Amino acid sequence: MYNERLIHTLSLIMIFTSVSAVEARNLRMAAYAYAGQALLICALILAFAQGNSALYWWAGVAFITKALITPWLLLTYVRRTVDREIRGIVGFVPSVIIASVLLVSFYQLTHTYADFLAPTATAAQGVFRTNLAVALTVFLVGLYAILSRRDAIKTVVGLCLLENAVHLSLVSLAPNIRETALVGITTEVVITVYLLLYIISGIYQKFGSTDTYQLSELHW
Amino acid sequence: MPNQVVSVLPILLIFVPGATGIIAYFLGRVSIGGRNAAVVLGALVTAAVGGAMLYRMLTLDAVLTAWGEELRVDGLSMVLVLVISLVGLLAVIYSQRYMRHETAIHWRDVTEQRLNTFYCLLMLFIATMLWGVVTNNVIMLYVAVEATTIASGLLVAFYWDRHGLEAGYKYLMLLTVGITFALFGSVLMYASAAPHLGGTGVEALLITHIREVAHLFPRSIVIATSALLIVGFGTKAGIAPFHPWLPDAHAEAPSPVSALLSGVMIKMAIYALARTITVFYPTWPTIGVFLVGLGAFTMVLGIVMAIVQIDLKRLLAYSSVSQMGYILMAFGIGTHLGFYGGIFHLINHAIYKSLLFLCAGAIMYATGIRTIHDLGGLGRRMPITSACFFVGALALSGMPPFNGFMSKITIFLAAAEVHMWWAAGIAIGTGVLTLVVMVHAAYGIFWGKPRTDRLRLEEVHEVPASVWAPMVVLAALCLLLGVYPQLLFPLLERATQFMAPVGHALTAMGP
Repeated sequence: MYNERLIHTLSLIMIFTSVSAVEARNLRMAAYAYAGQALLICALILAFAQGNSALYWWAGVAFITKALITPWLLLTYVRRTVDREIRGIVGFVPSVIIASVLLVSFYQLTHTYADFLAPTATAAQGVFRTNLAVALTVFLVGLYAILSRRDAIKTVVGLCLLENAVHLSLVSLAPNIRETALVGITTEVVITVYLLLYIISGIYQKFGSTDTYQLSELHW
Repeated sequence: MPNQVVSVLPILLIFVPGATGIIAYFLGRVSIGGRNAAVVLGALVTAAVGGAMLYRMLTLDAVLTAWGEELRVDGLSMVLVLVISLVGLLAVIYSQRYMRHETAIHWRDVTEQRLNTFYCLLMLFIATMLWGVVTNNVIMLYVAVEATTIASGLLVAFYWDRHGLEAGYKYLMLLTVGITFALFGSVLMYASAAPHLGGTGVEALLITHIREVAHLFPRSIVIATSALLIVGFGTKAGIAPFHPWLPDAHAEAPSPVSALLSGVMIKMAIYALARTITVFYPTWPTIGVFLVGLGAFTMVLGIVMAIVQIDLKRLLAYSSVSQMGYILMAFGIGTHLGFYGGIFHLINHAIYKSLLFLCAGAIMYATGIRTIHDLGGLGRRMPITSACFFVGALALSGMPPFNGFMSKITIFLAAAEVHMWWAAGIAIGTGVLTLVVMVHAAYGIFWGKPRTDRLRLEEVHEVPASVWAPMVVLAALCLLLGVYPQLLFPLLERATQFMAPVGHALTAMGP
């Protein structure tokens, strides 16, 4: 019923775009890469929709919130601050290498041990197993971005990736969830992203840059 | 099963503050006095609805439900409803004069227009917290908890200065990442329960139904779910090592907001943790032991960090972390006495921590200073604030005749009852340290001499009545509940009833 080749291909490209969104130096490029990743997530959900028609609705919600509204917010606020990301201690090449190593090993790990996390028998099989493994891998990409990036807007991109991963995992974990619950969950993420970007624009005004290293006046 | 009564009150409880917030935002553009009156009225009505619910619950000996069990108010929820609505009302009354004073001081960033946003978000904050404690739906619990983060995000960064913005950024970032873990955990719980409950899967969303099938979950899922829930809701509750957002946010927010954050919101988070994780208690009691250990760690970390603080509000925030450790330890012990002590401590801490933050606000109102060594000798000029602060400090330290004593002793006894002597010892030791820290702070601020010249004592006056009145109410409650704790016993009994006790399992593990 499910096109396994399609799902595997889409998942692979999606992980690649996630890493691009995290590593892109130009924040506008990162926002576009994130939009691409969101589109791929919609495509993935559509690929699963053959088995569960409620997922068509999910894909629509995900498209509007993740592929339209969030990149628009990111681009608006990047325009109000700076284009170029503030570089942290880890250089571009080492970062990409670390990220790739982490991702490959984590994907292998989760794919092998998906039974640990799969609550039902169906969730541990075939495409659902892949979906779970992919979702957890992108979760790790997002977490890596939040922890390792120095630019505040990049951390917001990381947060969006984190949330995307969790919503994607809902396809295997909770396929019967009510649509209103999903709309509620995704709307909240959009509002949180908006508030974070609003505060970051305030930080840009008061501190002169979006550098998180400067946000250390409150310690101890 | 207690009898269930369908009531419109839970729906009103969420709707009234929410609607008040939205109305206040638009009303404030037309009439400032109207906005202030609307907000106070809304908070009063919310508290009245809470009181009506308590009355119905006690007289009918029932659980109130609405929307076909989507909203369910049992004893535990009732405790939280009372705490949220009461402290919310007092914070709203306090903010009237306090925020007006702030518009004069921070005239560039805090304007009357921004106060429209302030009151709107404040009421929405109260509404979302109330929603979180009355919902029976495990996914809506996540939605409500995230909604409280959203509502309070801009409140934390309200002063829009460097410190406020830094605190706001960390607050939103850390809490959103944390709550995403809780989402994972809630979804796992729902997904594991769904196949056992059959039907369309809608029933599996309700926590009451999940409780019934929790013993059928595979062990790996229970481990994963508990870990995710502890990280998720624990972050929001200020449990170490996920607490770093707490001192910044509680210190940099405006004082009425700090009182709500420290006094109420973290309680709501630990309520969410208790609701979800106790589902596993009957079958896997070792989760309780882990929670006791985590609680002990939090307790000690909180008070040690509090000792080195020179900023009053940060000191109070770290002491909140420490006290949340007490509550977590009590919930971890899992016996009847443990839950009783934990819920009792939850109520007491809400009262005296809000009191202390409101006093800190009063000190800032009068002097503009937050650091303890710059303050001194305020006792003569601010007698009411001084008395309230001492009441709060002694209650926090667990001194009789105040309320803190009763709940702390219950927790010590609960730990001793299951022969967890190490836990009881750590709890008592932390209590002693808390006493030292609080009395030192109180003495340093109200008696003694300031160590620098920053304070102009002759310019210090007592705060106006609408600012000290809420403080006096809370202080009176501290004394009342300390002398007559029996007032709370019927409610506490009902609240502990729903939680499955694991006492026998823990005592069987031996000393």
